[in-house]
Amino acid sequence: MARDIDIHVEHLTRVEGHGDIFFNAKEGKVENVQWHVTEAPRFFEAMLRGKSYVHLRPITSRICGICSIGHSLASLKATEAALGVQVSEETVLLRRLALHGENMQSHVLHIGYLVVPDLFGVGSVFPIVDVNKEAVIKIVGLHRLANFMSDLVCGRTTHPITLQLGGFSKVPTIAELIDLKSRLEASKPAISEVAGLLASVKGNLPDFDRETEYIGLVDDNLYALYDGDIGSSDTGLHPVTYYKDITNEYVVGQSTAKFTKHARDSYFVGALARFNLNESKLNDFGRETAEVLGMKAPVHNPFMNTYAQMVEVADSVQDSILIIDELLDRGVKGDMAKVELKPGRGISAVEVPRGILFHDYTIDSIGNCTKANCIIPTNQNHANIQKDMDELAPRIVKLPEKDIELALEMLVRAYDPCISCSTHYTKVHFV
Amino acid sequence: MKPKVAFFDFASCEGCQLQVVNLEEKVLDLVDIVQVVSFREAMKEHSDDYDIAFVEGSIMRPMDEERLKKIRHNAKILVALGACACIGGVNKLRNKWSVDDVKAEVYGDAPIEGNPYFDVFPTKAVSEVVAVDAYIPGCPINKNEFAKVVTSLAVGRKPKLPTYPVCVECKKNETVCVFELGQFCLGPITRAGCNAICPANGEGCDGCRGFLEDLRVNAMKDVLRQHNVTLDQMMKRFNLYNYKREGH
Amino acid sequence: MRTMDPDAWKAFIDKLIEEPDLDVVGVKQKGKRFVFAPLDRASELRLDYDVTILPPKKELLPPNEDLLLFDISKPFDVLAAHDERKKVLVGVHPYDMVAINMMDEIYLGTHVDEHYEVRRGNTLIIASDIISIPEKAFCGSLGTHTVESGYDLLVTPLDDRYVLQEGTPAGSELLEKFAETKEASRYDIERVEKLREELPGRYQRRLHVDKYKWSEILEENYEHPIWEENARKCLTCGTCTLVCPTCVCYDVSDEVELDLERGKRSRTWDGCLLKEFTQVGSGEIFRETPTNRYRHRYYRKGMYLPMRYGFVACVGCGRCSTQCLADIADPLEVMNVLASSSMEDPKKLPIPEVKVHGVKQELLVPKAAEITSKEQMTDIDTLYKIRLDSGQALGHKPGQFVELSIFGIGEAPISIASAPSPDAEFELLVRKIGDVTSKLDTMAVGDKVGIRGPFGNGFNIEELQGRNLLYIGGGFGLAPLRSLINYSLEHRSEFKKITVLYGCKDPTALLFKDDLDCWGCAEGVDFKMTVDECWGDDEWEGNVGVITTLIPEVDIDPDTTMAIVVGPPVMYKFVIRELKNRGVPDENIIVSLERRMKCGVGKCGHCQINGVYVCLEGPVFNYADIKDLPEAF
Repeated sequence: MARDIDIHVEHLTRVEGHGDIFFNAKEGKVENVQWHVTEAPRFFEAMLRGKSYVHLRPITSRICGICSIGHSLASLKATEAALGVQVSEETVLLRRLALHGENMQSHVLHIGYLVVPDLFGVGSVFPIVDVNKEAVIKIVGLHRLANFMSDLVCGRTTHPITLQLGGFSKVPTIAELIDLKSRLEASKPAISEVAGLLASVKGNLPDFDRETEYIGLVDDNLYALYDGDIGSSDTGLHPVTYYKDITNEYVVGQSTAKFTKHARDSYFVGALARFNLNESKLNDFGRETAEVLGMKAPVHNPFMNTYAQMVEVADSVQDSILIIDELLDRGVKGDMAKVELKPGRGISAVEVPRGILFHDYTIDSIGNCTKANCIIPTNQNHANIQKDMDELAPRIVKLPEKDIELALEMLVRAYDPCISCSTHYTKVHFV
Repeated sequence: MKPKVAFFDFASCEGCQLQVVNLEEKVLDLVDIVQVVSFREAMKEHSDDYDIAFVEGSIMRPMDEERLKKIRHNAKILVALGACACIGGVNKLRNKWSVDDVKAEVYGDAPIEGNPYFDVFPTKAVSEVVAVDAYIPGCPINKNEFAKVVTSLAVGRKPKLPTYPVCVECKKNETVCVFELGQFCLGPITRAGCNAICPANGEGCDGCRGFLEDLRVNAMKDVLRQHNVTLDQMMKRFNLYNYKREGH
Repeated sequence: MRTMDPDAWKAFIDKLIEEPDLDVVGVKQKGKRFVFAPLDRASELRLDYDVTILPPKKELLPPNEDLLLFDISKPFDVLAAHDERKKVLVGVHPYDMVAINMMDEIYLGTHVDEHYEVRRGNTLIIASDIISIPEKAFCGSLGTHTVESGYDLLVTPLDDRYVLQEGTPAGSELLEKFAETKEASRYDIERVEKLREELPGRYQRRLHVDKYKWSEILEENYEHPIWEENARKCLTCGTCTLVCPTCVCYDVSDEVELDLERGKRSRTWDGCLLKEFTQVGSGEIFRETPTNRYRHRYYRKGMYLPMRYGFVACVGCGRCSTQCLADIADPLEVMNVLASSSMEDPKKLPIPEVKVHGVKQELLVPKAAEITSKEQMTDIDTLYKIRLDSGQALGHKPGQFVELSIFGIGEAPISIASAPSPDAEFELLVRKIGDVTSKLDTMAVGDKVGIRGPFGNGFNIEELQGRNLLYIGGGFGLAPLRSLINYSLEHRSEFKKITVLYGCKDPTALLFKDDLDCWGCAEGVDFKMTVDECWGDDEWEGNVGVITTLIPEVDIDPDTTMAIVVGPPVMYKFVIRELKNRGVPDENIIVSLERRMKCGVGKCGHCQINGVYVCLEGPVFNYADIKDLPEAF
């Protein structure tokens, strides 16, 4: 049917931050489809100038309320790299545990509160309480457990406290770790049930594939979140210090667009990218969950990012149990590495729920930061979102307007964008 | 009649709204006593008919001011949620430099002139633009304090924040004072209500809940000097969340 | 005395820990410091500690304690919350035991605090002799390095054995049931005595003045420069009062769950160093400056509490001085300075005689009552008739007050405005100022409230009988005065001439119009009223001018007249000056003062005017008793 369609979704709901979607068609032909970020810039990189190295972590933590543990760790790693501080194995284990807590918390929130409503055809999680209270209670329970874990390891899940330069200002006791482990074990049935629920509504996801480059941290032995090299599905491994070669920013045409591209015009970061790069490193519970969801790498449907997150929730729970076992074995001492001032530059990469995050600091001889750069995962996804929209638009232009709108919204939501973290503004203009 | 409640956010990390979600099962209690008509992060539905508006984030641009003024007009009660809304928080750190300077630092020579999305002025707290009826401070907020404020409003009582310093809560918790651990702490001049969570976890208070109205700042500076804290260290710490409240 | 070898002692403690339904709380290490905390095994116990961060008072009067549990979805569903768990405290040093004994007297003395009573009754104390001494302590100078009584057992850890002194039958029972002990030898007993004898010499810091002289020294040094000097450095953070074993003041507040049904009233530690300690509903703060607050703590410990209870409320533990960041909290330093200085022309600080009251009721649980009528008097003042559900009369004297509860909101002190009567109904005039009074304003006849009281020292009828009465009421002060005025009119023959002077802001602020008419027409009553100001379009034909303008119109025989004055704080200065000009002696002037009242029975500490409790010695005072109290006017 040849109609004229004008859709403007202002301030997309059920995503973190503010963004708009534009879709215009004339006589059944797509004229314009745009993903438009309207978030107020906060100028974090400018803020960090002149700040003491001790304040870099508390400030950058405030870039994001959901990934604050990730930002804190990226910040600490970059500062430690700049100052030449070596943290102990115990510190790394606890930091990995913290990151698992954050990954679980963010993914469960995204899956349960932000995406599931679409799969059930309702506006928010609240009506689902009437239809399937059990499922909501399970989701809330998993969310609470993830917060419990981060609270225990970090003192507080949002803007963590115990994550410090060189170590932890407070460590969990053996009794607390044993208790946490039993709670994690007890959560597995609920995770399997939620995965089963997702599997049952998988048909409600648009059937849409678009292969792109997938980028994330890769490690020899682990499903990498805390450490690793930069891995690309197209070009293999790269050292973290060469991040700028990966995240090239460029401007398209006369627009103010800043895309990031590497081997292709855009790339994907986040759970789906990690899954595609690191499926072989999943532990048993992660692998089992992937099977339930019918996922086998590589998966090219961006809507499946949410499902990849579910796989990661399971993997994180199991990996956390393994980490706790190791901590119980070695005992927890509260190591704190010595920190000495010296000028230097440090670059770090950490996987936060939404993808790979880079922090790059230059610190002078008296400990003040002279230059900072933070590349946020969602930033790196904006180009990919636009490219997906470009390809999806002609396929859905014949649908009723409500369905076009929903499909575009679901696409953006699938990426789990963290728009307010974007310290760079990206306005994409379809030329 | 259940009061109608709406959540809004401006320039923020959205961490404070997340604390509302972190009420976990109690959120079901919450939606029992109030009707949430707008919560962009969690709901598709939206309505402009609300009694209580919770506003998170700082105000950076003329378009933000306009949106905020509309919210103020619609709401009977406006509550500032979190440090960015209450006192500007870390968002005010960039006020040290001119707007042109920070734009140049972050965007280089990208063509952003004349673009309303970039038309920023020095960061403002919500109260610098509209009248605020209640505050829930902190970075992030304490979800129990949020619940207390909501129940106060629901039973018809004006929410009251502590007017005493963090030290009171720290002592009640029997936390070892961080000064004894070789650190320094802004607890004596910062508003309590967070249950002194940072000292309890081994880190000195940064003042994220805002300094007290009549803080004993000279006495505090004396104490810091006694503990060999340099003026530079002091000011950097003071200015983290309470930009330019005391000194330079 | 009994003894045990170290293994037997450990076994004893472990046996106590294993005992179900018994919490064992002892001294454990926390970082470089020590705290009282639940013990998991005897090996955690550190009887060689110097001092804990918080004193063991936290086990008897917790930092946060539920008082009442209620359900606000019902008209009146209120229960006292008591802590019934049985506890053993192990390792309480003698100075802390002395402090607990003081706390017992304050909380179990004249008016028994049931919450404290239950918890204290469920707690057994195993005190222990001092082994290590913290740097700032000075127990040796105060005699608190040993203690005679209060403990159930007292253990002295010697190198090779533990010596136990039995303090109570309960302590002996504990030993019998859980321990293997032998009779102490002469040698053991000597070693214990020697340890205690040597203690005073081991304290590095000495007081230069006997503690029983503190009262006198403080009395003469109210204006000493040290108060302001030190207060300049004071953070008013409250640390000194929070860590002090003899500080027992608390604040009370109500909280409701998100379901808007279940709620609780709880109390939490409060301190006189904090700014809002003395703030009342109208916003006024009675101890505003840091100097006043800093000084008050020393006077309470060294003068007011000794005068009231007979003990000096400092045990020399050194916690305040150790933990004060500004290093100004040391009582030893301050008292040594005061003892060695001599103020020129020292001002003596009068403390009125402490009056004993017989409040015989459960102190903290409000009684159910119903609003039976509401009469709006002005924009902000409403007269309520309240009737106790029990049907019993309130049994109050004119000048007393009640604490009115609206659960979920809080409690407020309100003066009783009606004369005593055998009826179950009484009247309260309520001004809409704060949370409770504003909420009350929205309630209707038939709604339930909670009532505690009556509290306070009412007007002394005896000293008024046979005399001329000159009532002077300003604004809201007429409410408590009305109770007495109507009483005196009901017993007219007991009094001579009665004059009533009433002044308020303007004609719209007039209260008790019916009574005003009545008094204006009554036989043998000279009634005059005035308004401060009156805008042209009012029908006011009476006096315009402040209340002092009425006084010249009255014939006063100074020696036979009692002036009863109640009004806003600012009024007293001017009215009393007028009365003094007319020759009225100090002891013929009666006033009623307002302060922040929470408990109503002299425990929470908020209503203090220097050493006087407004809820116990007041709110009615004889002017002669308090005119020189610095904090009174």
